[in-house]
Amino acid sequence: MKEVENILRIFEEAKDAINEGNTSKIRALSDHTNNTASRTQDPDNIAVAVIIYSISKFLERENYKSYPGWKKFYKNIIVYIDKIISELKNGKEVGGTLKSMRGEIENISGKLRGYIHDVFRKAEINKASKIYEHGISLEKTANLLGITMFELAGYAGQKQENYELEANEKSLKQRIKILDNIFR
Amino acid sequence: MKDKAIIFDASTIISFAMACMYEELRKLQKNFGGHFIITRDVKKEIIDKPMQIPRFQLEGIKLQELVNEKVLEFPDVLGVKDSEINIGTKKVMDIANSSFVDNRGKIKLISEGEASCVALSQILNARKIPNVLAIDERTMRSLCETPDGLKKHLERKMHTKIQVKKEKLHFFKEFKIIRSVELAYIAYKKGLIGTKGKNILSSLVNALRFKGCSISNDEIAEIKKMK
Repeated sequence: MKEVENILRIFEEAKDAINEGNTSKIRALSDHTNNTASRTQDPDNIAVAVIIYSISKFLERENYKSYPGWKKFYKNIIVYIDKIISELKNGKEVGGTLKSMRGEIENISGKLRGYIHDVFRKAEINKASKIYEHGISLEKTANLLGITMFELAGYAGQKQENYELEANEKSLKQRIKILDNIFR
Repeated sequence: MKDKAIIFDASTIISFAMACMYEELRKLQKNFGGHFIITRDVKKEIIDKPMQIPRFQLEGIKLQELVNEKVLEFPDVLGVKDSEINIGTKKVMDIANSSFVDNRGKIKLISEGEASCVALSQILNARKIPNVLAIDERTMRSLCETPDGLKKHLERKMHTKIQVKKEKLHFFKEFKIIRSVELAYIAYKKGLIGTKGKNILSSLVNALRFKGCSISNDEIAEIKKMK
């Protein structure tokens, strides 16, 4: 785990935000994880980014709260966040706990199980898209998050409106000329 | 068939596949009269992995068909051995993933598939075999064409100072890069697009863009005018 102090702060603030039911704050905290995940490419930092984003999504969806198993699921999140905070404060590695957290909160019966799994999957794609936006290549990013390039390309493609040519980047006409020449 | 090649990285093939432009790829390859090449590392990303995932299995099967039909071929057709590409891939990855450094160390930018395409292009350049790289994703293209722009982008997004080892990046200057949108334009100009219609070119370009091809709004406006 890299940037431990930053991750500790994120979990502490996330815990407060969960208690307050402040999902927008959890979402904002999840954005803070993008930078560390992109720079370090550390699997634990990436797992943190996915988990915090997923928690914001779970809590945003009011209808989930009426499904059987929700109370146990919610309790598990809190228990694991406490455990992670405690381990980080004691200088322990949290990779194993992050893995168990995800495993346990996904291991839930009934309708909620499918939804939780879906949220995690979408969170991985969302975080991959953020890392790609940071300048890491499409393939590298897909491999870091364990998703296919097809999933990432489709998602990233939806967010291309702001793409602008860099100075000195070849123009469309220059590229067409390159192709014209080789097609001859 | 002439000894000339378009080397496709995974991002470009994925754009074509997700826009269902398999037929256009077939016609383009026939019209090209040279080789459309993918490396073994690219095959892993565009065929082997999607074959394991129900949602993308169909794309995997259709792309495997293009390989079976020799629309997409492997570098050995040009006399390049996988072992040569593997050596080159390692070199490209070493350079690319050690040239941008922040206060915590090297920023790893690319993976084997992308690196293998550049390695192959370098081998073909050395053998005087005309070739271009087809790359839709932004990072590898920026690395080759606008490393200063990539540095600024990384600094802006990562909120940190980045040092660039420019002497290493000269390696990337020799490569010629195109994208799926330019290939679609060529297909359009040559009458190789099966579907007809008034807005077909802009529809193709938009489809490719939304499947991952990095193209700016200005370029889209430009391509519409070029009809």
